[in-house]
Amino acid sequence: MILLQWTLTPELLYQAGTGILLFLLVVAAIFSVVQKDLLMAIVGTSLVSLILSVLFLLLHAPDVALTEAAIGVALTTAIFLIALRKTGRYEE
Amino acid sequence: MNIMTIIGMLLTSLGALFLLLGAIGIVRMPDMYTRMQAGTKATTLGAMSFILGIGFMEPAWLIKTILIVVFIALSNPISSHALARAAHRSGIFPLSRENIDLYKKDNQEDKS
Amino acid sequence: MKKLLAAFLLGFIGYYLYTAFAGVPFGENKMEVGKDYLETTVPKTGAVNTVTSIVVNYRGFDTLGEVTVLFLAATGLGAILFGMKGKPEDKHREPSSILTTGAKALFPIIVLLGAYIFIHGHLTPGGGFQGGTIIATGVLILILGIKSFHANHALLSVMESLAGITFVVAGILGLAFGKNFLENILPLGTPGQVLSAGIIPIIYIAVGFKVGAELAGVLDTLMSTTRGEE
Repeated sequence: MILLQWTLTPELLYQAGTGILLFLLVVAAIFSVVQKDLLMAIVGTSLVSLILSVLFLLLHAPDVALTEAAIGVALTTAIFLIALRKTGRYEE
Repeated sequence: MNIMTIIGMLLTSLGALFLLLGAIGIVRMPDMYTRMQAGTKATTLGAMSFILGIGFMEPAWLIKTILIVVFIALSNPISSHALARAAHRSGIFPLSRENIDLYKKDNQEDKS
Repeated sequence: MKKLLAAFLLGFIGYYLYTAFAGVPFGENKMEVGKDYLETTVPKTGAVNTVTSIVVNYRGFDTLGEVTVLFLAATGLGAILFGMKGKPEDKHREPSSILTTGAKALFPIIVLLGAYIFIHGHLTPGGGFQGGTIIATGVLILILGIKSFHANHALLSVMESLAGITFVVAGILGLAFGKNFLENILPLGTPGQVLSAGIIPIIYIAVGFKVGAELAGVLDTLMSTTRGEE
């Protein structure tokens, strides 16, 4: 306990975690936009939703985090995947 | 610091260790199936012991964390099984010299 | 040239957004409306979760509109895909027996979680929409895991209609016994217990059933139809 206190304060961890997650959010969003393989693009949007849900939880909005986790990660991905199965996988 | 907290700290350390090993395994393993083994088995044990450790540190949450652990134990192997099966179906084969593929041998009549 | 212009524009917008929001302190110094809600919501509505009390009580009419929009979306999807026959699945996509057993074992747990979330909507984070969505994902697991699974659309539409009627009747009872539509006429109870906060749990249970039935119907319709002839 005392060993940890001199460098890793909770505020520092919180801010570092938020910053890393924001960076990963932008990276995942760019990945899903640039990608030509639509399956990978769907995985990218799902990743965006997952990171966003953790960010909402860190920013003290558990209601929105739950909504994002249920709708963004699970349901939207499933509907996209079903639509992808009925159409084509690659973008022309 | 009582005994529960110490057990909790040990369990969370074990969980963090297994999660780290899983992450290293995903980077280091050669083909998809071995990578998935690292990414599912190690992280299942890691997440389970991590959550259980948090339950030991906060005894009020112990029942809830045990429920979460049971849910992970039920759902995570099934999802990894579905993932491996889908990979096999879409034509990714294990990277080995002997070319042993028991799944294909077992399901020979299904494939037709 | 075009990309350069786009990058310049992005930088411009980003800089001004940054300067605009740099002075706003985060998480402290709340505005008047937020402060008022946080202070008066527990004695006024009896719901411990402020978000729920705003969504269902202060802005209950908007929630009715949202539920209606979701209903219209589900109905429109059904109307578009009506009559399209699914093609028979090829044998490679059949779920394995592990998957079937797992889906059967997991479905009750997921439904229980969804029901917990919408019954405890006024106490813990979450509510009708989230709980309903979780139930719909449970149905999705059943659809994926069991080969010849088809949702009972008649039962789903009956559930959905009953839930919608419950919502509207709760509103009209507020109009009849109180002053306004969706007024909280039931006793508030002690905050923090399951049976408290008047009509909020009733409305959220109705919303949960409605959203769950609608999304399950949407998923089943999508899964069992294909795009048809080209």
